Amino acid sequence: MAANDPIHQFQIEKLVDFGVVNLPLFGRTELAFTNSHLAMTIAFAAVVVFMSLVTAKMQVVPGRLQTVGETLFGMIDNLASSIIGHEGRKFFPFVFTLFMFILAMNVLGLLLTFTVTSQLAITAVLGLMTIGLVIAIGFLRHGLGFFKLFVPSGVPIVLLPVIVLIEFVSFLLRPVTLALRLFGNMLGGHVALKVFAGFVVALGAMAANGGLGYFGIPGAALSLSMVVALTALECLVAFLQAFVFAVLTCIYLNDVVNLGHGH
Amino acid sequence: MAVETDSAPIPSADPAADVTSAGAAAHGSTTAAEHGSGGLPQFQFEHWGGQIAYLLILFVILYVLMAKVFAPRMRRVLDERAATIADAITSAKALQAEADAQADAAKRALVEARAAAQRTAVEAGAKAAAAAQAQKAALEAELSAKQAEAEGRIRVARDAAMQQLTVVATDAAEAMLEKLTGAKAPRAAVAAAVKSQG
Repeated sequence: MAANDPIHQFQIEKLVDFGVVNLPLFGRTELAFTNSHLAMTIAFAAVVVFMSLVTAKMQVVPGRLQTVGETLFGMIDNLASSIIGHEGRKFFPFVFTLFMFILAMNVLGLLLTFTVTSQLAITAVLGLMTIGLVIAIGFLRHGLGFFKLFVPSGVPIVLLPVIVLIEFVSFLLRPVTLALRLFGNMLGGHVALKVFAGFVVALGAMAANGGLGYFGIPGAALSLSMVVALTALECLVAFLQAFVFAVLTCIYLNDVVNLGHGH
Repeated sequence: MAVETDSAPIPSADPAADVTSAGAAAHGSTTAAEHGSGGLPQFQFEHWGGQIAYLLILFVILYVLMAKVFAPRMRRVLDERAATIADAITSAKALQAEADAQADAAKRALVEARAAAQRTAVEAGAKAAAAAQAQKAALEAELSAKQAEAEGRIRVARDAAMQQLTVVATDAAEAMLEKLTGAKAPRAAVAAAVKSQG
């Protein structure tokens, strides 16, 4: 049953166990090198190797691999500078790191048996990290003026309390939406893939018994075509979610970098 | 949607701690492969700490690599390319300007050459016309001189002939008178009569 359980693919498996400790915030924590750590390591190594290969023999007239790297680089660079403005270059490494790491983890999730970005712990940390940077920059640059973020200009005094409340709640929800969007997309996509793949096996097994079970063959074929179509869709989603994360990071950073004259 | 309802208690740390401590108490030596509470494996909080720490470490390393190594390398080549393109455009513009200048010079030279040729042609035409005029005038002068000379000769000849004719007429008239009248008419009167007849 465990092999066909669509949830089983998200199970953390310990590869190397280092024992159990009690941490203040997380409670009982198992220290181990798990399949999640392995997948993260592979994603990390993939990004580093890719970027090394791309930038190793940089030429003014680019080769194939360099073109791919420059396309990704240019895409995020344009994004950062078009949303944040001339200070976009300063925040570009952060946005690009986020983008490349999430992209690598998403894509590897389609190739490996484990998807790191379907772990809420990971997406929550990525979301909190982004919003933490936003808050830090907000306070460093504007001090208490950071709170002007919640007070849009040109709002009637009567409406102000309501607007401020809405703005504040929407700001608080930003890391939650960042984390849940990525988590939900990856989780849902992989569950759907696993369910349809499970149908193929189940209906195929039914057909193998003969008799009425042969009616399972069209169903299995349909499920298989769904798996193929969903895999294509997941490739798109893997890229798109990384891109959306980068776009939203730029938008949130722009809010505090250009506080007051951006709105 | 089940995901969001499940995740609602996440942000506060206390329920999480409760769940995990309860889970720890209940299951004791549960292996990670089994589903702790029957929910999503993502909510087995005993695995959060290790993943988060590892993610942060990897992210920081990746960020440093990006910020210090990869992005500057990339940026340098992109800037270099932009500079190369700008240089190429500048030199192309200079070449274009030079070519334009040369084309202008060639055009000007062509116009000058054409003007010179026209001037030469006009001069040659004028010279030829003058020469022809002179020749013609000389020829006309010569011809009119010859004509005048010829007319003179004709006049002299005619006058002589006329003189001769008067004498002959007078002789003839005198002879006719003598034959008709038998009398000899004075010569002067006959001559006067002939002359009065024409």
